[in-house]
Amino acid sequence: MGVSDEVLLRFDAASLAYGRARVVTDVTGEVRAGQAVALIGPNGAGKSTLLRAVLGLVDVVGGRIEVLGRAPVRARRDVAYVPQVDTLDAQFPVSVGQVVLMGRYREVGWLRRPGAADRAVAAAALAAVGLADRTRDRFGTLSGGQRQRVLLARAIAQRPRLLLLDEPFNGVDAVSQQALLDALDGLRRDGAAVVISTHDLALAHVACDEVCLLNRHQVAFGPTGATLTPELLRAAYGGQALELRGDDPTDAVIVAR
Amino acid sequence: MISYLLDPFDSPFMQRALVQALLLAVIGAVVSVFVVLRRLAFVSDVLTHTVFPGVVLGFLVAGDGGIVWGALLFAVLSAALITLLSARAAVTEDASMAIVLTGFFAVGVILVSRRSSYTADLTAFLFGRILTVDTGQIVTTAVLGGVVLLTLGLLGKELVFRAFDPTGAEARGYRVLVLDLVLNLAVALVVVAAVRAVGTVLVIALLVVPGAAGRLLSDRLAGILVAAVGVAALAGWLGLVASWQASVNHGVRLASGATVVLVLVVLYALAAAVAAVRSRRPAAVPQAVR
Repeated sequence: MGVSDEVLLRFDAASLAYGRARVVTDVTGEVRAGQAVALIGPNGAGKSTLLRAVLGLVDVVGGRIEVLGRAPVRARRDVAYVPQVDTLDAQFPVSVGQVVLMGRYREVGWLRRPGAADRAVAAAALAAVGLADRTRDRFGTLSGGQRQRVLLARAIAQRPRLLLLDEPFNGVDAVSQQALLDALDGLRRDGAAVVISTHDLALAHVACDEVCLLNRHQVAFGPTGATLTPELLRAAYGGQALELRGDDPTDAVIVAR
Repeated sequence: MISYLLDPFDSPFMQRALVQALLLAVIGAVVSVFVVLRRLAFVSDVLTHTVFPGVVLGFLVAGDGGIVWGALLFAVLSAALITLLSARAAVTEDASMAIVLTGFFAVGVILVSRRSSYTADLTAFLFGRILTVDTGQIVTTAVLGGVVLLTLGLLGKELVFRAFDPTGAEARGYRVLVLDLVLNLAVALVVVAAVRAVGTVLVIALLVVPGAAGRLLSDRLAGILVAAVGVAALAGWLGLVASWQASVNHGVRLASGATVVLVLVVLYALAAAVAAVRSRRPAAVPQAVR
């Protein structure tokens, strides 16, 4: 995958807080155009918080986060966010097409309805995740993996420079997982950067160039192969919470204890 | 049969009541769809009670003509307060809401209890008198309804986005607090519009039941809206017919506003029965496994 020198996201000793409580400290690293970075760490490590900080939804109380050279709140139009699918109400009466069109709403503007051009962009985005024939179906009738693909299509419709995904592979079947990976590859080829919060070490190896290991502070940030080592994984997860099969870190099994 | 349903509206006061009921049905039903989508039934109930002291204060200061203005003032104030409490509750959100509800309502009761005609006034404010609405009150309802429908029409896509995925909407730069305030104000304005006709307590039915019935009858937003308006309008019409026929032809006095609400609840029960029958039909091949 072609990675350019253009830095789209920069963490500079960034510390994040909810109110007075610091939840993540000292994150430093860069994400370049065309690059994919995995955020890996145990539950409560601050992965989602870091994604929310990139969106400008969490206070940066130390250091700095720059998105496309701007403060996060000033870069929201160029950043797309894909939430965990199980945080959404599957019974909500909305069609697949309507969900994808939501990715165009900021471009459409207040008080206006999406036009033919917006619908064409949404249709192309849905095709990119392999669900072109499902536009009229109700969102909740799709499987979890398909719903996750619809949410990715919504993000693609936004035409982002930076894409943030929160645990996109949780409970996703193999077909949807491959469709998600293909769509992410397409985005990266077009010059977008991708940041993925995940527990799946094998997928991080397959899909990401770099890894940020977190456990309320940055344990490591670097190339995937060099960062997903047994030592660093133990440092991030705690020795007793990680079982390794042989020496291959992609065979690591994270066990909650 | 047709004359049984139409005869009650020969008299002008019943015609005015029908127009008022249909106006409230349309406004209330559209807002109720958003209330149901956002699961704001309790918040709506709080707003119906927090408007009450404004109704009483307006009446005490300026008589009948002051009711709408007092209600409007308290509607705006309480919508803002409730929006803030929902976002930043010091304790749990429902506890904060309950405190606001009871506090405001108590102020209203204390104010109205200072009048000699306490019981009659309280009944009118709480349950309304739809048969006594005049043309001016209908115009007020139409204006308030127009503001509400125009606002929801213009901001509909943003409000639906926020209801479906609040974090996603926030991530796209929408101020969720502002969208919440808009919806809470819309709810409060429906309460103001309905004060004279159905009172501040029974209006909760208009704010919840049509949307809930619509949700049972359709799983498409447009279908839910149409069904909600249809159910509410039908309840307004049949409720007035039932109260008139019972009073005039059968010697049983039925409060018109309460009868409209009761018919609305019956229609909801019918919608629930229809939904239950539908759900027992053999399912088609699940689309998720295509």
